[in-house]
Amino acid sequence: MKIVGVTACPSGVAHTYMAAESLQVAAKDLGAECHVETQGQIGIENTLDAATIQAADVVILTNDIGIKNEERFRGKPVLRVGSGDLIKKSAIIVKKLAAKFDGGGVTA
Amino acid sequence: MTKIIDTQLVDLQLDVPTKAAAIAALGKRLADDDRLNDYDAYIQNVTQRETLTTTGIGFGIAIPHGKTDAVKTVSVAFGKLAQPIDWESLDGEPVTMIFQLAVPESSKGDEHLRLISALSRNLIHAEFREQLLQAGSAQAVIDLIGQSLNATLEG
Repeated sequence: MKIVGVTACPSGVAHTYMAAESLQVAAKDLGAECHVETQGQIGIENTLDAATIQAADVVILTNDIGIKNEERFRGKPVLRVGSGDLIKKSAIIVKKLAAKFDGGGVTA
Repeated sequence: MTKIIDTQLVDLQLDVPTKAAAIAALGKRLADDDRLNDYDAYIQNVTQRETLTTTGIGFGIAIPHGKTDAVKTVSVAFGKLAQPIDWESLDGEPVTMIFQLAVPESSKGDEHLRLISALSRNLIHAEFREQLLQAGSAQAVIDLIGQSLNATLEG
């Protein structure tokens, strides 16, 4: 399974990065490929390129505040979650997605 | 460059009964260490932020933060609680460690922010949290944070 994500939060200082890290750790544990863009106070980092988005099975966006350049994900399956949920429940979220997109299996 | 944390900003025996008292106590350390322009305005900003969503991120950690012009320089105060306190955390668990952040409103492009973002990422890792819990001195906490930030920023 290939995941792309974008995280953002109201102050753009901490939750943005915790959510991104949590998602990346959870994906890595499952052997899923995962790229996460952060939109914080620093600015946009790890910007997702068109090819990466195109190859993704699923897009995860945080819904605390608006995501910039969201039109990039048009036509892709999008899951919206709070940054807090990503911080705490990434493992569960990624596992559920894997069941859907990998039939429960794990891709290298 | 001013460091984001120093020993004056570390309290390994933070003995407070409530979330509000914890925010005030760590705010006081930030003020005493000359990190704030206006203590009251900073506390008000942090408290307001708490009403948006809890900063109790789980794992026994809270990261209250204020982004306001009441802050002079990007800083972080660390408190290890003598008694765990309720923080209306995402997982319902009480909080044992607090990272209280202070960020000036107009800090875009400030490289200290990169340190805060790296620290935030590192807190996701259980090993780092465990090392922080075990740290026996203020300097040990600062060294741990410094090491983990160096590893993250270089890696």
